[in-house]
Amino acid sequence: MSIVEVNHLTKKYGTTEVLKDINLEIYQGEVFGFVGHNGAGKSTFIHTITGITNKSAGSFKIMGISDSQLNHAKKRIGVMPDVSNLYENMKGLNFLRYMGKLAGDKRSKPELKTLMKEVGLEDAAQKKIKSYSFGMKKKICIAQALLGNPDLIILDEPTSGIDPESTINIRDLVIKLKEEGKTVFLTSHNLDEIDKVSDRVGILSDGEIKKLGTPRQLKEGIAAGVTISVRTKPILQKNDIQKLSEKMNTDIIFMEAKKDYTLLQVPSEEDLPEVSKEIIQSDVHLYEMKVEERSLEDVFMNA
Amino acid sequence: MIHILSREFLDSFKSVRSILIILFITFVSYQSATFIDSNPGLIQEIVKIGGEEGTVYTAAIALIVLILGFLFVFATSHDLINKEIELKTIRLLVTKTSRMQIMVGKFLGTLLFWVATITISFAVIFIISGSWFLKDYFHSFVFLFYIVSFVVLVSTVFTKSKLTMFLGILFGIALPILGLASAVSSKWYLVPFKYLLPYRYLEGSIGLMFVPIIIGVIYLLISVFIMQRKDL
Repeated sequence: MSIVEVNHLTKKYGTTEVLKDINLEIYQGEVFGFVGHNGAGKSTFIHTITGITNKSAGSFKIMGISDSQLNHAKKRIGVMPDVSNLYENMKGLNFLRYMGKLAGDKRSKPELKTLMKEVGLEDAAQKKIKSYSFGMKKKICIAQALLGNPDLIILDEPTSGIDPESTINIRDLVIKLKEEGKTVFLTSHNLDEIDKVSDRVGILSDGEIKKLGTPRQLKEGIAAGVTISVRTKPILQKNDIQKLSEKMNTDIIFMEAKKDYTLLQVPSEEDLPEVSKEIIQSDVHLYEMKVEERSLEDVFMNA
Repeated sequence: MIHILSREFLDSFKSVRSILIILFITFVSYQSATFIDSNPGLIQEIVKIGGEEGTVYTAAIALIVLILGFLFVFATSHDLINKEIELKTIRLLVTKTSRMQIMVGKFLGTLLFWVATITISFAVIFIISGSWFLKDYFHSFVFLFYIVSFVVLVSTVFTKSKLTMFLGILFGIALPILGLASAVSSKWYLVPFKYLLPYRYLEGSIGLMFVPIIIGVIYLLISVFIMQRKDL
């Protein structure tokens, strides 16, 4: 069942099209990751489907409720805003109480403190938000998105700018939300993060969805070729690879030479025995050769 | 909406400006009422020339509302809407509730603050005179309803709070002058102010006193319409 259904959604600022004819379905209970560079339109997409900005064309439905009736769905959506949108002069706990009331959340003060503890803000309840660090502000934004027990949780860059431990906590939180049957929509620059938690991923570029699918599907779908890392002494350089390519009469692409290994791309796995044989027969000592896993980064770079 | 209303209402009491204005209005009301109360001859003289006893007691507060009302409300609430837009905190609110409810909640919260302020002054007058002058109280309410809705409109149309602060001072000085002048003059260039501003309606029948409320509601509807179309 679709919890978000977007049809031909377009958003223009003046003559600039920031979102171009977006079509997307997000299913109940899935974690959907949206990846894109700065200015790709990720935040505009979130702002449009949450009513912060008005669409220019197209339509969308959230939990079956059309965009013209979006106000009826708001209590069931938890939106993590940008940290700059917080009431800086409010104390953390008071902020959550106020936002909780607006979200129809009946939690008591101790329960809200428990929520703050869950996101790692146990000692910050009575401190003003303006005294919070960037990471703490991120955390209170996440806590705020969870108020009212929403069915759909939208997290805009939840892990950017925060420490590794908190990143792991947020990842665990997203997994926990998924286990509870919630639908999570998150955007991130951290492709590794998206890869770890998302059931499906959309790659947004210049306001268009360039790729859409499970992380596995996307990785399998990028340009043919196998990336391998080769550890040799001395290390193989670009000209060595060119010679190898000519000798084998195959397209072997030199990608980069790092401290003690070289990254190459060969047309297929069938070429690997021949490549290893040729390297062994050359003047270098081969210590290790392994096929590199494709990452979402490769997909993103190919999008 | 009720939560936005109550937050707006309670926050209004937290600023130094608001507290000073409450103290000023209460102090002037108290001083004028005690002065009138200690000079009963003055009341009789005014009643003789057709004035009402209540008007004598509430003259000071009426003058403050009529002449300084715009200035005071702009001073405390000129950024009622645009500050939330500037600071982008409104984005938090619109993800939880409708824009209409935000606007109405803010309007009612601010209006309630001003109603509470004049209620304190009328209570002071009641303690001294022994009467609650309902008609004058309703006059003040109507006037404040009009002013607060006008402030909401200005704060919605102009998105920079510095500009609305400047406009607030300008309107606070110019509108009472234009309003009072248009109420007694028939010069053509004052005619729009005569009908748009609330001054002329306050001295007519009870029915006329609802006209500023209707104009205020129109201002609010325009504000909501503008807000619905804004990208926040």
